[in-house]
Parts: sequence; C-alpha cells; structure tokens
Amino acid sequence: MTNENTEAAAPEELDLSGTIWAEVDRVLSGVTARPEPGALDLIVHIPPDEVIMGLRRLKTDEALDFNYLRSLTAVDLEEDGMDVVYHLFSTNTKQNLTVKTRLDNDNLAVDTATTVWRAANWLERETAEMFGIRFNGHPDPRTLLMPEDMTDTFPLRKAHPLAEIEILQGEGMGYPEEGE
Amino acid sequence: MAVTPDTETGATGAVATTDAPDIPSSPPVVEPDLEPVQPNIPVVPGEHPNEAPRLTPVELVPGKALYKQALPGVMQVPLDLVLAASRKSSLWPMTFGLACCAIEMIGTYMAHYDLDRFGIVPWPSPRQSDVMIVAGTVTKKMAPAVKLLYEQMPNPKWVISMGACATNGGPYTRYDRVLQGVDKIIPVDVYVPGCPPRPEALIDSFIALQEIIMEERKTTGA
Amino acid sequence: MVATPEVGPPGVGHPEAEFQTQDLLLNVGPQHPSTHGVFRMVLQVDGEVVRDVIPYIGYLHRGAEKLCETMDYRQGIGFMDRTEYLAAFNAELSYVMAVEKLAEIEVPERAQWIRMILCEMNRLSSHFMFMGAFGIDVGVFATPFIYAWKEREQLIDLFEEVSGDRMMYAYFRPGGLAWDVPANFKQRVREVLESTKVGIKDFDGLLTTNEIFRARTQGVGYISAEDAIDWGMSGPSIRASGVNIDVRKDEPYMFYDQIDFNVPTRTEGDVYARYACRMDEMWESVRIIEQCLEKMPDYGPIMPEKMPRMLRTPPGEVYLRTEAPRGEYGIYLVSEGGNRPYRLKVRSACLSNLQALKDMSVGHYMADAIIVLGSIDIVLSEVDR
Repeated sequence: MTNENTEAAAPEELDLSGTIWAEVDRVLSGVTARPEPGALDLIVHIPPDEVIMGLRRLKTDEALDFNYLRSLTAVDLEEDGMDVVYHLFSTNTKQNLTVKTRLDNDNLAVDTATTVWRAANWLERETAEMFGIRFNGHPDPRTLLMPEDMTDTFPLRKAHPLAEIEILQGEGMGYPEEGE
Repeated sequence: MAVTPDTETGATGAVATTDAPDIPSSPPVVEPDLEPVQPNIPVVPGEHPNEAPRLTPVELVPGKALYKQALPGVMQVPLDLVLAASRKSSLWPMTFGLACCAIEMIGTYMAHYDLDRFGIVPWPSPRQSDVMIVAGTVTKKMAPAVKLLYEQMPNPKWVISMGACATNGGPYTRYDRVLQGVDKIIPVDVYVPGCPPRPEALIDSFIALQEIIMEERKTTGA
Repeated sequence: MVATPEVGPPGVGHPEAEFQTQDLLLNVGPQHPSTHGVFRMVLQVDGEVVRDVIPYIGYLHRGAEKLCETMDYRQGIGFMDRTEYLAAFNAELSYVMAVEKLAEIEVPERAQWIRMILCEMNRLSSHFMFMGAFGIDVGVFATPFIYAWKEREQLIDLFEEVSGDRMMYAYFRPGGLAWDVPANFKQRVREVLESTKVGIKDFDGLLTTNEIFRARTQGVGYISAEDAIDWGMSGPSIRASGVNIDVRKDEPYMFYDQIDFNVPTRTEGDVYARYACRMDEMWESVRIIEQCLEKMPDYGPIMPEKMPRMLRTPPGEVYLRTEAPRGEYGIYLVSEGGNRPYRLKVRSACLSNLQALKDMSVGHYMADAIIVLGSIDIVLSEVDR
C-alpha cells in the first residue's frame, strides 16, 4: 500500500517547505490536486478524469516546464483499486515530480498521455497489458511484451499466480521405464 | 690404365695408355620378328635394390583383401569413424544467443578462451550449421522461432542447452510466460549448468558433445 | 499487408519516381546476427529505402518485476544483475540505493567509494562491448570485437577477484558491500587502468578517424533535441543531440559532486556523435576512477554497525535513478512495510531509447537502419525485463 498519510488532512500540515508545491499548486489551480511528500520527489494525487489536463498544464508551463516523462507505471492495490504513476522531469530546471491517479477496480480506464509526451506510447502499452488498464485514445493499443495469444491474463496483478515448477525432465514424457 | 711411377726419374708421369672399353662398334641389332617377344629391358645403373620387388607381378593369395596385397601402403578405417571424426572436429554452431549466456558464449569464441582451435566457428545461418547452442531463457513468445530454427537445420544436428534457463527455466521458472526448459520443444544433447556457465564449462560441453558423436556413430550409421 | 500501388514521394536515391513500385515488408530477426539479442523489426522498404519500422519486442520478457515481489530484498539483487547483464554493477546500485533510501540506511564512506570505482569500471566494460558490437554492425567484422573482448577480459578478471563472478556479481548489499575488496585492490585497479588506456587508444585509432567508418556513420540517424526529449531518451544517445542531462550531474549521488569530470555532449545527433560520446565517456570514466583511487580511504567499515538480519522497509515509495551506461536506469520501489517489495518497476533506458528508432531510421537505407539500431546500444533483457 502506498503512503496514505491519514493524519494529513490539509496541505498546510505537511512539511512541504523544501518542495515545489507552491508552484505546482499555482499551475494546477482548478484541478483537484493533493500533495504528499515522498522520499525523493513531491507526489501529487489527481483524480483520473482531470489527470491529463493537469499533466498538460505541467508540461506547458514556462516556469516548471516538465518536458520529460521519465516513467509511467501502475501499482495494484487490490481492493483499493489501481494507481497509475507518472514520473516527470524538467531538463531545464532539473526538477522532479510524481503524479498519481487512483482508478477504481470497476472502471480501469484513463485517458492516454501520448498527447502530452510521445514517450508514453510504449510505457502505456506495457502497463495496459500487465494490469488490464485501458488507455482511451491510445494510437496503437497492441500488446508490447506479451505473446499475441496470451492477452486474457494480466501478470502483474496481485491475483495472478506464479507458475508451478513442472515435473522433472523425463517423467511422464513417454520414455520407457527403467524396469522394462 | 695404370699409372706407374717411374722409379728411375722419380716422377709419376701420366702414361697415357688408354685401353678402350669394350664398346661394340654398332648398337645391338634386334632382328625384326613377326612374333611378339619380351622386350629386352636393360638394367638401369643406380637402381634402388628395393624397387625391383615392386615391379614384379603380384601373386594374389585368395582369402586376403585385394588392396592389402596389391597396395600395401593403404590404411583401412571404418567409414563411420571417419565421418564421426570429421563431424566432431568441425562443429559449426548457430549464433543463437538469447540472453546473458550469450555474452559468455561470445567470450568463449573470442581470443582468450578460443573455440576456433577446436574447429568451432560461429555461423549465423541455420542452414549451414551443425550445433544450436540455446544460450538464454526461452520465453513462450520466442518458442515458435526456436522450433522453426531447429527444423531449418539440416541433419546431423545437435543441441547444447547452455545455462540454467535453457535447462529448466532457471531463476525465471515460476513466471508463466517462460518456457521451463528448451527440451520441451527440441531434443537436447548436452546440458550445461551455470548462471551463466563459465567459458571453460562451455568448452567442456563441446568436448562432451564430441565424445557423444564418437560414441553414437555405431548406432546412427554413416 | 501493405501493398500501395501508388508511389509515395521519392526517397533517398530514388531517381525515377514515376515507377509504380510496391513496398516490401522485410523481417529482421528475432534471430539475426545484428540485432543484439532477440529483437524483431519489420522494415517496410521501397527498394532499399526504409519507409517504416515496426519493432516487436517481448521475446525476452521474463518477469523480473513480478518475481521480485516474492523475493526478499537481498534475493532480488540477482534479478537486477540479470536485467542489465552488461552493466550489472549499475543495475545493482540503483536497487540497493532505493532500498537504502526507503529504509534510511547510511552507507559507510569506503563502501561508497568502492561502489563508485566498480560502477565506473563497469561503464568501461559496457562501452567496450558497445564498440565491439557496433563495429560488427558497421561492417568491420571481427577486429574491434576481439580488441573489445581483450580489454573486457582484463576488467572481468578484476571483477572476479572482487566479487567472485564474471558477469552476475551480486556484490552490493543494502547498506554497503557483501565483503571487503582484496588487499591489493588499488594496485590492481591501477594496473587494469593502464592496460585499459592502451585499449581505448587502440579503438580510437581503429575507428574514430577511419574514413569508411565516418562515411558510414556521419549524417545517419539524426534526431533533434526536442524529439529526443519528447521520446524520453537518455544517456549518450540524447547527449549526442545536444541535451545535457546526466543524473550524475543533475542529482549527484554517492560522491559524484566531489569528483571533477565532464559530461561529453555533441550537437550533431547522428550515429557518429553517439559513438563519439561513448568514446569520450570512456576517457572521463578513467579520470573518475583515478580521482576516486586518490580519495578512497584504505581502511574502514563497508557495512553499517547494526544491520538487521531481516531487512524491513517502512511503508513508502521511492523512484531512484542512476546513470547506467545506456541511460537513466530507474527503480520505482513501493513498499508496504515488509521485507519484500510490494511493487518494483524497473525504468529501463533502452526501452525509452528504442521508441525513437522509427524517427531515426525512416528515409535511410536498410543498412543504415541496422547501424542506427546498433548505435542506440540496446540490451534486450533491459528492454523486456
């Protein structure tokens, strides 16, 4: 489970002094954003229907200028849903930011980020086939790492089991037994 | 002619008394004959004494091999020995490096642990190679390609399964997209354990494969 | 099946554009001498000119991320080795630093210097492998490869003395190192560096000023700085296009801020620039190692005093990135308080670099597409994990 600070109800109670929350808050005005201090970067939680708008604002803003998408992935939180995580970086100001959005288990869909950065293309394809999240509007929704005929299961979900180690070589393969 | 020193004068005068050798005045005359006769082969000076018996007609002893009597310098070996020896001395592996074991395989081909001294030359095309070294994890997405490449190789062919992943899935065996061992789809002759196996282990596997080739020549036929 | 009866705009070297031609779908791989592993791409060629590149990956997808969720933090180090097998120290470094960040473990100073030296030497050996394999792609078939492996064998011998293995070291631990380096470590590193300098100079003389090499690689596979940033490229591939990002300078970790080194950048953005960036990086790595040897303390602990037997991390998450030879290798670690990761995501540099393959090779000849793929320097197990 992620770091749900249940005691931090309002942003003022968190220690966000060393982070860029002030500027991010200004850029994301109008978008519901909730900050959280992370181990290295600031984490911002945005609801799924507003996340692409928020990301686009973060990219086009001149002061923040988050023009580099480092990584895009998802975390399976079993009953609580799934988190889609975006890691952003600015090549000019060298700032970092993590944006998270929580999807419900019965509506695993979010808009695609390929309209903001082209780097999201393969990253979203991989996340989609590993977790079963649908990215609306993706230009090329094929599988990336899976074989084409194994698309009905999603390996990185917690419910997906590991394989059993199969029988030893030779057993049950039709070889004649020793005694014969 | 004798050169006798003249005792009176004390000098060895060269007394030129040439006794002419006995040369006939004209070459020998062969009377033309209507019947064929044995030609008169003169004995050539300086003939090697052992050569003469070779030119004599051979008397064949029934029951002994013809070529052993007529051509005594020839060695007879079984054909399957020759074929097996030549196959084992020039195994050409197909370069089929899948994962990390490929790096150790390449290291074995290179100058430090030279495999070329065994006659082993990496060859990219499956149509002209003898051995397939499956070096690395075989995933279910890659398995049809492995099977196709194996079937594209002409006989005789062997397979070396290098590393733990090709043997039974290795460290990744519990992931369900990984084939638990390449011997589920193709027959394997030599398994090399290790993750990755050292270059010396791969050389050892080639030597084991060579022994297999020599041993199985009686059963597989030429 | 793409069969366009009408011809598109004339490509490079296409003198008679009024011909009615049909494009050919050419399959390269997954077994191919130049694909650096199991990578498949389908080239749509018009004569010899590439119109479209469709890459297919996933032939080496082995599930390291899923398997690490069932492994203790120390067991997962072996999987990180195998994810990036040519730069295993750098991969392990990201992982153990992420665990240390979450668990707030302080690494002793001597261990950090040793880690820096080993990581930079691993950068050297990885770039040697690049030089060798890239030489094969360009057409200089065996000579650079054998030179490269001669140098790599020296480096690997040193790694074997330190960690016990030639390729999968499993030497870093959360907190420091598994065991101390041998007593003659500094002297051995200096010896290996001397022979490595000769090796780099050999490669410089063999390839850099070679007329044929330059004719083949200059002007090929250009990508602009904005496109490279948009695609999320990193490492020497993006520094060759003029973008100066390097995690060692932007967010210094370990003691990189105490070391004086440059980050080579070029502006041409073509295949030759990527090669030259890596060549310059090798010289910079030699400089870094020499400075580290001066500053490294001879004695000291390599693990903190009180390391728990069962290493547990508090709940939290971290995204930690380091500069691997191929680019930015990031580990996103989510922990829920146990001794195993809840979610481990490996941000691989090669996957992001490979996305830009199409932009770089369309419009060039088929042989150039092979060189472009070689210049991105992919390691398939990092792409597929």
